[in-house]
Amino acid sequence: MSVVNYGTREITCKIVYYGPGRSGKTTNLQHVYSQLPEERKGKMVSLATETDRTLFFDFLPLDLGTISGFATRFQLYTVPGQVYYAATRRLVLQGVDGVVFVADSQSRQLAENIESLQDLHANLADEGLDPRTLPLVMQYNKRDLPTTEISSVEDLDETLNFRGVPFFAANAINGGGVFETLRSIASIVLWRLSAPALKGS
Amino acid sequence: MAAGPKDGTEEEGGEFADFMADISQEIALRVESLDPEAKAKRKEKKATPSSSDAGVILEWENIADRMIEEMR
Repeated sequence: MSVVNYGTREITCKIVYYGPGRSGKTTNLQHVYSQLPEERKGKMVSLATETDRTLFFDFLPLDLGTISGFATRFQLYTVPGQVYYAATRRLVLQGVDGVVFVADSQSRQLAENIESLQDLHANLADEGLDPRTLPLVMQYNKRDLPTTEISSVEDLDETLNFRGVPFFAANAINGGGVFETLRSIASIVLWRLSAPALKGS
Repeated sequence: MAAGPKDGTEEEGGEFADFMADISQEIALRVESLDPEAKAKRKEKKATPSSSDAGVILEWENIADRMIEEMR
């Protein structure tokens, strides 16, 4: 999906926030949106139910303007976390360049995190993408909850991050860790874009 | 690419600017390696004889004339 078009001088990348229901994927996008300067604020498309659960998906086009002569755009998506929206998750993953896995730090949500991670791998494989090499970062969200309710970052990382990818503790509802996570996945995706060229040189 | 956990809320408003600065730097670094023109230039440079190419015949056009000349 990622496009580097030298004719039109455009760079476009698609990043998907994946994770179990209520882990904070939409909250991540809402925080990014809240920080955008007015002139860059496009439309954040969000379809939610009456109880604020993501019904279909969220979409935030991030127009970064012209960088080094290239019109640069990041397209941020979330998937609906609930198990029964499997078809939508597969649809959103089409053409993905990088994934942020938003895990819920609550100890009682560990099984849901694992299930969602397995679901991500299965769906990537269905899309012909290699889950072992696709740019991925982990975000352990809800670190603002009482320590008695959440697993330690170390425990979460040991259980979920078997690829050893970059990981970030976050409390997305207050904005903590949101941009660090986005910066990391964007950097990896850009590196991946240029990697074949570097190999060939 | 190891990264440690980071937490805490940054100052409002500055986050996007910081992000932009980092991404701009990243793209500036990557653009040259992505640019097909720059890549072609690098290949052109590589075409000039290097030490590993020593002894390899690069000018085939006049090779027969030169061989006849040397045999005389």
